[in-house]
Amino acid sequence: MDDLSPLRDLGRALEHDPPPSLARQRSRLTDAARDPRARRGLRRRRPRGWTALALAACAVAALLLVPAVLLRPDGHHRKPVNGLTHAANRPMNVLILGSDVRGPADGAHPAPARSDTIVLVRLPADRKNVTVVSLPRDLMVQRPSCLLSDGTRTTPGRGQINGAYSEGGLACAIKTVESVASVRIDQAVVLEFGGFARIVDALGGVPVTLPVDVNDPASGLHLGAGKHMLNGKDALAYARLRHGIGDGSDLSRIKRQQKFMAAVYERAHHLMLSNPIRFAEFLRLSTASVRAIPSLDLANMKALAESLTRTGSSRPHFVTLPNRPDASDPNRLEVDKPKADQVLAPFREP
Amino acid sequence: MTAPPAVTADDAELIRRSHDDPEAFAALFDRYAGMLYRYVSRRLGPETAEDLVGDTFLAAFGGRRRYDLSQPDARPWLFGIVTKIMARHHRREAAHYRALRRSPVDGPDDGPADRVAAGVAAWASRAELAGALAALPGRDRDVLLLVAWGDLTYEEVACALSIPVGTVRSRLNRARRKVRAAFGGVDPTAADPAAEEG
Repeated sequence: MDDLSPLRDLGRALEHDPPPSLARQRSRLTDAARDPRARRGLRRRRPRGWTALALAACAVAALLLVPAVLLRPDGHHRKPVNGLTHAANRPMNVLILGSDVRGPADGAHPAPARSDTIVLVRLPADRKNVTVVSLPRDLMVQRPSCLLSDGTRTTPGRGQINGAYSEGGLACAIKTVESVASVRIDQAVVLEFGGFARIVDALGGVPVTLPVDVNDPASGLHLGAGKHMLNGKDALAYARLRHGIGDGSDLSRIKRQQKFMAAVYERAHHLMLSNPIRFAEFLRLSTASVRAIPSLDLANMKALAESLTRTGSSRPHFVTLPNRPDASDPNRLEVDKPKADQVLAPFREP
Repeated sequence: MTAPPAVTADDAELIRRSHDDPEAFAALFDRYAGMLYRYVSRRLGPETAEDLVGDTFLAAFGGRRRYDLSQPDARPWLFGIVTKIMARHHRREAAHYRALRRSPVDGPDDGPADRVAAGVAAWASRAELAGALAALPGRDRDVLLLVAWGDLTYEEVACALSIPVGTVRSRLNRARRKVRAAFGGVDPTAADPAAEEG
């Protein structure tokens, strides 16, 4: 780098300080911003191309990301960002989606992404009793009509819940979950497939205990019964596994993911206390691996993760949204309304 | 709820906010207009810098929906835009450096006599350096100056110019070799006759 110092000197010698008249350029900008055309065609929540999402079990790691949310304005009211102390006292509902395909960030025809995992997280004002509710992806629900980026709308009607995301993107997934669960979502976080593996690796692996041998040719995962420390790649395979373990259903996969989330949460928590440098790296990787609406920021995330410890938050409570076989298609599920209302009650508190 | 200070939001957050509230984008101007002005004034002189910074922010504002909101730091993006806009002025830029060869402007080295003397010697070299900058192909010069004057990392340069990091490295190496040669070829690794064109 030293050979650049003469060049740096030259640069400093050539540099001029900004003159006061630079303010004129600011006026050009604000004039343009006030032009009504600048507002035209704006949609409320997301930029165009918000289709790419990510894998689910990461929802786990998101438990640590989620706090960052607290610094964010409430998306529905577009209130400005509040200070940490203030925002940290607000209850929040967070939607976490994990999906397996990532489309181009701004492509006109992004690859259809499936939301493999759908999780609602409730952070109460005191942060003491965090609730995580998994929504089975096979759930048949009444899907609202969503506005697409090309100005057209999706057809409303009964369909599988994860279709909302592949058809209408994150905005549509938010709208659908809001309508199905009758809760308001303050923040949505999407986790990427590859990001999940990176997050696990940053933690130095995550321990899991297998009740039986696992041989899954589809993912290449071969593990004996007992305790294992899984690296990112294996953890991903494990989280997505549907065959060769449990009863092979989506519901048993959800249970496994919830256990795994708890393990990641504990591991991250332990790392935060025992190895702040590694933890900082973990946070950095995590921010890079998720997309969030509103967006997340590393410094805020760290402050929030730490505020979670301070409030002595206990291990989150994991449940699956109560459901039963769908009346019209026994291979699908439908919401068990009375029981679901009980589970979702805390999410509906102001 | 009290109004929060906008300065606590990162760049991506400001840009996201500007989707719904276009005037929020002005905060980005307040944050980076000075930095860009200094950078442009180095490359093109102060006369054009002002308008060019204004053009850059207008272009950025127009393209704010294409900004990747997962990037908290908007500097690479803004430097990318200003680089594109400056490319239209490449002749002026070369002339700016060449003018320096003929009549070096007063350096910042006014002061004790020994420093002034050292400054004179430095200016002789600087004139050579400026000549070498003027002779660089635009693409190589962009990379070199984004690193040396814009203080971007290689990854940030890659992001600003939408080129792979490997390309950043190769362009930077090539540019450095030529600049080093102009500076007297002090670096033995630059013992490449082809690079001795000055």
